[in-house]
Amino acid sequence: MSRRNARRLRDFFLNAVTYLSSTVSLVALVAILLFIFGKGYKLLNFDLVVENFESQGFVADFYPGFETCGCVAEIDLPEGSYYSEKWGIALSDSTDLLGKTVVEVDYVHPDSPFAYLRDKGIGSEPIPLRTDYDIIRIAFETAPTALSRYGAANMIASLDASDSIREIEFETKGGGIRGSILTTLVLIGLTLLFALPIGVGAAVYLNEYAAVGRFSKLLRSFIETLTGVPSIIYGLMGLAVFVPLTVRLTGATGGNLISGAMTLAVILMPVIIRTTEESLKVVPDDFRQASLALGASKTQTTFKVVLPSALPGIMTAVLLAIGRIIGESAALVFAIGTTIKDDVSLTGKSTSLAVHIWAMMTDEPANVELSATIAIIIVVIVVTLNILIKLITNRYLKKRLGVGA
Amino acid sequence: MKKALLALVFLFSAVSLLACGAAATTTAEPFDGTMTINVYTRDTTSGTRAGFMAGIGFAAAEADDSVLVDGFIIKDNTGILTAMTIDEYGIGYISLSSVNSTVKALYFEGVAPTEANVINNTYGLKRPFMWMTRAEGDYPSQDVEDIVNAFIAFLGTSDAGDIIANNGAIALPSSVTWDSIKSQHPITLQDNSGVTVRFGGSDSIQKVAQALTAAFMPKCGNFVAEHDHTGSGDAYKRTNDPAIKDTSVGKDVGFASRVFKSTEAVPEAQRGQLAWDAIVAIVHLNNPLADVTAADLKSIYDGTFTKWSDLDAE
Amino acid sequence: MTGQDIVATMKNTAASRRVDHLAKGVFLAAALISASFIFLIAGIVLFRGFIPFLSDNGGLGRVDLFHFLTADVWLIGQTFVSNLYGVGYLILSTLFITTLSLLISFPVGVLTALFIAKVAPAPLAKILRTVIETLASIPSIVFGLFGAGVILKLVYDFSMAIGYQSKGGNSILATVLVLALMTIPTITSISEVAIRSVDKTLEHGSLALGASKTQTNFKVILAAAKSGIFTAAILGVGRSLGEATAVSLVAGGRRSGVSFDLLDTTGTLTTMMLEGLKETTGLDYDIRFSVGLVLMAVILITNLALNAVKRRVGSVHVKA
Repeated sequence: MSRRNARRLRDFFLNAVTYLSSTVSLVALVAILLFIFGKGYKLLNFDLVVENFESQGFVADFYPGFETCGCVAEIDLPEGSYYSEKWGIALSDSTDLLGKTVVEVDYVHPDSPFAYLRDKGIGSEPIPLRTDYDIIRIAFETAPTALSRYGAANMIASLDASDSIREIEFETKGGGIRGSILTTLVLIGLTLLFALPIGVGAAVYLNEYAAVGRFSKLLRSFIETLTGVPSIIYGLMGLAVFVPLTVRLTGATGGNLISGAMTLAVILMPVIIRTTEESLKVVPDDFRQASLALGASKTQTTFKVVLPSALPGIMTAVLLAIGRIIGESAALVFAIGTTIKDDVSLTGKSTSLAVHIWAMMTDEPANVELSATIAIIIVVIVVTLNILIKLITNRYLKKRLGVGA
Repeated sequence: MKKALLALVFLFSAVSLLACGAAATTTAEPFDGTMTINVYTRDTTSGTRAGFMAGIGFAAAEADDSVLVDGFIIKDNTGILTAMTIDEYGIGYISLSSVNSTVKALYFEGVAPTEANVINNTYGLKRPFMWMTRAEGDYPSQDVEDIVNAFIAFLGTSDAGDIIANNGAIALPSSVTWDSIKSQHPITLQDNSGVTVRFGGSDSIQKVAQALTAAFMPKCGNFVAEHDHTGSGDAYKRTNDPAIKDTSVGKDVGFASRVFKSTEAVPEAQRGQLAWDAIVAIVHLNNPLADVTAADLKSIYDGTFTKWSDLDAE
Repeated sequence: MTGQDIVATMKNTAASRRVDHLAKGVFLAAALISASFIFLIAGIVLFRGFIPFLSDNGGLGRVDLFHFLTADVWLIGQTFVSNLYGVGYLILSTLFITTLSLLISFPVGVLTALFIAKVAPAPLAKILRTVIETLASIPSIVFGLFGAGVILKLVYDFSMAIGYQSKGGNSILATVLVLALMTIPTITSISEVAIRSVDKTLEHGSLALGASKTQTNFKVILAAAKSGIFTAAILGVGRSLGEATAVSLVAGGRRSGVSFDLLDTTGTLTTMMLEGLKETTGLDYDIRFSVGLVLMAVILITNLALNAVKRRVGSVHVKA
């Protein structure tokens, strides 16, 4: 009786240990999520995800013979907006997607000279100052320039004190991360395209074909050694091998998505091989023998029996791989580069979300808020992909094997 | 049994999250002057470090860690800023453009670290922002060379000065406007949207450089500016080092956040200064210290002063 | 069976044999390609890493390999002038930190895996698996941010509470905690697969012999999954040894001397590679690849040692 109780107590204790251990990861994730949400929620909005990173800038002045406006605003201006009757424009202080304070145009009266500006660049068409543009600076002939960093109130006051301007610089909203999101997704696809066939193939060879012996042991240890190589060294390899290779083959001018995906594929190779192999081991030998006995060839058995049964494991490999692709920065800094771009092309220089964070963090001053916001988006993408892939696998398994996984 | 376990898990999570939450709030204890000064510094390759050490009269420490006080802590710009929000007894230095309200910026020799004081030359802790171009005739095309020349001319105007000031750096005084010199650069009259100019060098200057090219783009036929900033060392390497300048990482204009070294010599016309950046000594908000002298800072960084009370004793 | 049928079957067999050969060839090629990358990497690192020891380094003179491997000061003298680099103390502290972080992440990771695979009710297991996968995909720089913003503060407050002034929390302890958090997902996911692949008959046998479910989990299943779990540990060690970004934010960048004091600053081979890599030139740049070479050597030796231990420990074969 007491021995049974002692056993129960020990079992309870051991179980408690497993419960507590699992809590560590949970607590860590919750704490990290709380941390990044706390830092990054302010910048989290839909614009960030769909907007371009680069903004288009304009420089302009008035046409000769312009007239000041002296007009009353025709709409109700939002709170915190400064309106100049003389010039017929309303400006307010705002924060752009990068978290930088900017002066935003709230309203331009149709009769305002700002509604009809002369392009000081190469364009010959008049350019209007539109609402939602950000004004960078307004320069005057003699008075000091009104800069966006001094705020909207100062800009309006400077305007009211002058009878003309020398030039105005303004730009469209920028700072969005659409390009980096797209790049990350393309990178995932491309990397899996390179890594999965080779990785799964290698795992199949090692587990299904290779005789147990020196040769397969040697191959395994070579592959396993890859796991210990730090990202930064993979990056160096990418820079030294894959970048020149793709530059020669594709006409890219430097680090590009293909060289990045190739580098990532090498990084992922051991994880994919290892995980696939573990799942191949689980497939009972009875399946193989039954298939072979029924007259199927070894190849048929591999493709139609073994691989489908190992699918959940391969999916785990894919998930791990995606996680690593999304999270990798050190290697990509070298293999792709840190250029943030809006137009994504396979041979172009655009960069992934993690490197986007890296670029923000190495800026001086670093943009911790935006980094945290991107981190939130990364977590959302990862969780969505996880759920999606699990749904697909479950459905596939149900169809294929008639069992729920 | 499961219920008991889940309760245990819940308790454990709550306690650990509370601990993390407690970490997020600042503890308010009186400042203890007998505590050791924790000295934070950038690494020896940093332009900020070179500027700071030179500014406090401790040039020996610009590129040499062994002359620093024992137990110093090496961090990057953000790291030092974050550290000063945690470590009540720490001291570090960052660029003026990075200073925010979470840390205390110290007066230097009685002068407040402001842009105005850098411009009127009373604030002494500063470093130059420099530019460097490729050699004449060594550009991918004549258009690129002409645009670069126009851009360099633009850097000396008050219009560029506005942009520099707007991004937290301190522009060199100038009364020339772009309007008055643009006729010397006919390249700006044509459509350059098909021409890409490559900019690189120091990351400290990246923001300013990007703002400058963004402002110059519409002024110069909407050319395309490609920014890839990797460090001051690459300003020379990627524009003029024969082994690197013609590879895929080659640049047309490079920026450095320090004076060019003797190993980075190029003709006068290919380099110049565009701005100043002030460096500020920072401490934790709880630290009662408000003003330091160059001698104080040197004593702290070389280990003569190891406790905060050593500064008062003087 | 008619003669025609037999001929057809033979033809089929011959054809499928050819296909089998082809398939085997393709799979073998995949395995060979995967195995060859390590040589590519080794080649590049060897080539770049040996330059400072062989060349004149632009007038600074050759770096002394023996001094480099044994010295306990990163650089004696001025950067860009001196060639007296040393990583001896970094090798020791890297190994020390990795060992400590494994002491945390290994038990936690394996027990979490056991929990997910065998103990937890299905919905809980699903949630936890997602937690682990999400944790695995958080960029290391975010771990670094979290480390710099939260863990440093925790360590700092903790050390203040016990009456010891730490260097703003920058310490071995903070580094170990960050690394442990980063390696737990790796260890958990690999161990979980290993635990799942333990033959059910072993489990049933143990239960039939009267062992409780918990006893079976701990005594039979963990023992049977030993090989896979050990691999997980090796992967975890690899990640700890190679992590740079996050560590550099919490280590403190120690430049000389080994310290085993948990609350003192530290440095690792990777942080040394990363710090200043972007801004530096000449020998100071090239030497970082030599640090990389040392790092690779450390990783290789650790891997070989651990694999030798793994063979020693042996494993219950799940499938030959």
